[in-house]
Amino acid sequence: MYGYVRPVREELKGKDFDLYRATYCGLCRCMRRRCGMFAPLFLNFDFTFLALLLWEPEEKFTPCSGRCYANPLVKKSMCPDSPALELAAEESMVLTWWKLRDGIQDESFWKGMLLRGASMGIKGEYRRAAASCLEFDRSTREQLERLDRLEKEGCPSMDRTADAFAALLQAAAPKTGEVVRDRAMEQLLYHLGRWIYLIDARDDLEEDLAAGRYNPIAARFGAEVDDQALKQTMDHSINLACSAFQLMEFGCRSAVLENILYLGIPLVQRAVFDGSWKAIKKQKIWRNHP
Amino acid sequence: MKDPYAVLGVGQNASDEEIKKAYRELARKYHPDNYANNPLADLAEEKMKEINEAYDAINKMRSGTYRGGQSASYQGGYQQQYSGGAGDPSFSRVRTLINGGNLQQAEDLLQGMPQKNGEWYFLSGSIAYRKGWLDEAAQNFRIAVQMEPNNMEYRQALNMMQAGGQAYRPYGYAGTTDAMDCCTTMLCLNCLCGGGHC
Repeated sequence: MYGYVRPVREELKGKDFDLYRATYCGLCRCMRRRCGMFAPLFLNFDFTFLALLLWEPEEKFTPCSGRCYANPLVKKSMCPDSPALELAAEESMVLTWWKLRDGIQDESFWKGMLLRGASMGIKGEYRRAAASCLEFDRSTREQLERLDRLEKEGCPSMDRTADAFAALLQAAAPKTGEVVRDRAMEQLLYHLGRWIYLIDARDDLEEDLAAGRYNPIAARFGAEVDDQALKQTMDHSINLACSAFQLMEFGCRSAVLENILYLGIPLVQRAVFDGSWKAIKKQKIWRNHP
Repeated sequence: MKDPYAVLGVGQNASDEEIKKAYRELARKYHPDNYANNPLADLAEEKMKEINEAYDAINKMRSGTYRGGQSASYQGGYQQQYSGGAGDPSFSRVRTLINGGNLQQAEDLLQGMPQKNGEWYFLSGSIAYRKGWLDEAAQNFRIAVQMEPNNMEYRQALNMMQAGGQAYRPYGYAGTTDAMDCCTTMLCLNCLCGGGHC
């Protein structure tokens, strides 16, 4: 995904910040161990959020110390492998692979060749990941194909295109058999996926218009995009995701998840709408942290 | 039945005041207003019932007598029920299907109708809403209101969409973004990425 789902660091308590960072570093290590050496290149905040969501609420935060992949001289506190981290690691690899494959068809010859090379390079990583989440692999492929079809048709409804991506993300949480949790998680992930798709489309709007590419928001509103209406429908998705969130238990991970949902997401949305997002998205959350 | 103290998230030794506070916060969280028209309204209602029962049970245990009159009463049927529609029997069938969560069938039935009036658009919007297609829902509700401006049901639906839904916000997160001025936003955005100097 794209890094839109992140916490607001200044509003996080120390221990919650440590938990977030250890989850992020743990996910990196887990990706390397389970999928292969190139996998951590695709590490991102969105899947850190997913790992936090999928964690068993009863499980305590028990970080261990491990070497940083980016800088092996440094030791960092990180979460040891757990089912939630493993699932998030595999799913992120699967999504990365299918997005690359998707890109190969859409891009020009040379860029396509470049992507083809990259995807060949991570084929082993993808295979290892997909072997453990066959269902997600299948549905991701299906939904991205559906999305591709809709985009090629120039679908005028942004709900329909967003639905494909939302359904993709919805499939990221396997059913547990517990009705309340499953229904709430479905709604949370659906609307989070819808929001990510729309914020990404809004972020790319000017670029797509200049390049004459399909953009779901331009297709819905025409040349004059009604930002107010767009904001309204995106706020609505955030609200539906938050209300679903409140029906589930997350134990010690509640605070950081709340920070992301109630502060991080609305702030990123504001930044994308007022154009300041491009400049800040590349910075790391813990850039100057010792 | 679950341990009532666990339901309220307090210890067995909590004071009456603490219990009341925990109860109030939970009741605020699962209040029907926060889940009006939400597809998960029934789950919130369940939670509310559980909390009320736990609170009543604790009060009963502590006082030794059951004070029925004190029973918290945030219950009520607040799930959106599509009950109107005295006219076309097909429409009431669509409403039944939507209430039962049978969206595909409801949609097929609507598509097969020759004449599109306000109710047709309202029900199309309701189906879109249930699917999470919020933009199409709002567009359909708007057409329904334009066609029948005096219908309160359609108006309410449109108002709900224009308000962008509603959700409980935990303490400390109340009114964050909308209440902020431009400078505060920039400050917070700076925080979002750790700023350049902290």
